[in-house]
Amino acid sequence: MLRNLLKLTTAIIVLTSTPIFAQTETESTDSYDDIDWSLYDDLGFEDESIKRYANAKIEGLSPAKLISFGYDFQSPYSITAGDMTLVDGSTIAGGEALQVNSTAGIRAGFNLPVVSQTNLVWQMGANYWNTSYNYAEAPTSADNPLHQTLSEHGLRTSGINTTVYKPLDEEQFILFQGSADMSGTYGSSLMPAKYLKYSAAVLWGKRPTEKKQWAVGVARTYRVGELNYIPVILYNKTSANNKWGTEALFPARVHVRRTINPRNMVFLGYELQGQSFRMYENENLGFDIRDEDLEIRRGEIRVRAIYEFSLKNFIWMSVQAGYRINYRYDVDRLVSGPDIYRAFGLLDSPEYAQLNALTNPFYVNVSVNLVSP
Amino acid sequence: MLRKLTFLAVSAVIAFGTLSFDLQKEKENPGDRLVGIWEPSNGRSRIKVDRIGNKYYGRVVWLIEANDADGNPRTDINNPNPDLRNVPLRGFRMCKDFVYQGDDTWSEGTLYDPNNGSTYSGTIKMRDDNTLDMRGYIGVEAIGRTDVWKRLKMPSKKKK
Repeated sequence: MLRNLLKLTTAIIVLTSTPIFAQTETESTDSYDDIDWSLYDDLGFEDESIKRYANAKIEGLSPAKLISFGYDFQSPYSITAGDMTLVDGSTIAGGEALQVNSTAGIRAGFNLPVVSQTNLVWQMGANYWNTSYNYAEAPTSADNPLHQTLSEHGLRTSGINTTVYKPLDEEQFILFQGSADMSGTYGSSLMPAKYLKYSAAVLWGKRPTEKKQWAVGVARTYRVGELNYIPVILYNKTSANNKWGTEALFPARVHVRRTINPRNMVFLGYELQGQSFRMYENENLGFDIRDEDLEIRRGEIRVRAIYEFSLKNFIWMSVQAGYRINYRYDVDRLVSGPDIYRAFGLLDSPEYAQLNALTNPFYVNVSVNLVSP
Repeated sequence: MLRKLTFLAVSAVIAFGTLSFDLQKEKENPGDRLVGIWEPSNGRSRIKVDRIGNKYYGRVVWLIEANDADGNPRTDINNPNPDLRNVPLRGFRMCKDFVYQGDDTWSEGTLYDPNNGSTYSGTIKMRDDNTLDMRGYIGVEAIGRTDVWKRLKMPSKKKK
């Protein structure tokens, strides 16, 4: 009997000690059909204080661009500069319409995550846009100071921006976007910081399903050239079969998306683009118009089709073509404060120093992008 | 008496073996803290991480939408390899080849995103016992995105 006990003890020691010396694996070797997947249906967090939060993205959304480098080209059009009112009340007569052979420039930017938590997403970015005006005939001082400024200096925008996404629970979220842009006729050195233009938007919204999110809010924006405070609506939706979708931040941009596959997407829609450009470099104009007080209020609507596709892995190309519709290209003289708020004409405000008319050309924009994982 | 003695001996040996095994396992495989079931921040899936050899792998064990619009189990339709597009997403191994580097960090692995069929380099950092920072990146770690995964309780039910 005692012998039997010793045998049993030895066997147990051998059996229970074997795993100590073996390289064990933790994965089950069960086949797909043998696994009871329902085991994983109702699982709570190990740390019961943890909450679930609404994700910043929805399924099927086009990939976010981390780094973008592109080129924008507008076909020929004309600018007719109106009379310009000077400080002393006199005017410089507007000229004949001048032909612009092309308007083109670099558009570069980056946007990188700073904080990427379940309950907070924070991104910072920067952008640089350059617009050069190529006139059919070089403008002279007799044409108009506007033409000469555009021809000599073009327009630039350098800016920084930030986006904060804060989910409140599994469905609700708050979104904040802010930017500071330096836009004007400056060269290699920037303008004084007092000419920065600040834009911002704050929205509250819901993400009721994996394929839909919406939000409403208000924005301070220069998208139509001059300062405005407007309501904004965010609406992103993907169809049940993932083939169609809507990506909208109304009124700034609205696009319908056709997903050929996750690496090939086509968009149809529009975007409002604009900024207020300080006419800073003006020493060569030859006019006593104190141009540093002047700002071109440029706002345009780009009705367009966009094709975005993966060149290789995360390197994507975006090709867009469309029609650039001029909304405003007028000049304000800012002598009574840092800005003018007209509220779309509802508030009493100064006359524009100059009203200009632009015809509408076709345009193309090509960019190479590094997209987010 | 002999029966009691036998019972005590067996109990002692089992307890010793189990304890030794756990301690030894922890000592030999400190990276096994990663083993478990985790939920990505979007809450759309659950990933079970296991060790095979000295590497860690994670496979999808639950999907918020297990079936497609036609009611069939969702498959990896976005896989760049057409031959793999019929593979069921549930059971798919989306984290591969992670090696424990010490300091609560696992690296040298890859993360696969079935939403777009892309594979990223990955690094896993365990913030605490129940929280992972899963960083997917392209080339260099600076260019990427970190997702926070939370540990789920192990299932208690048994297959009938």
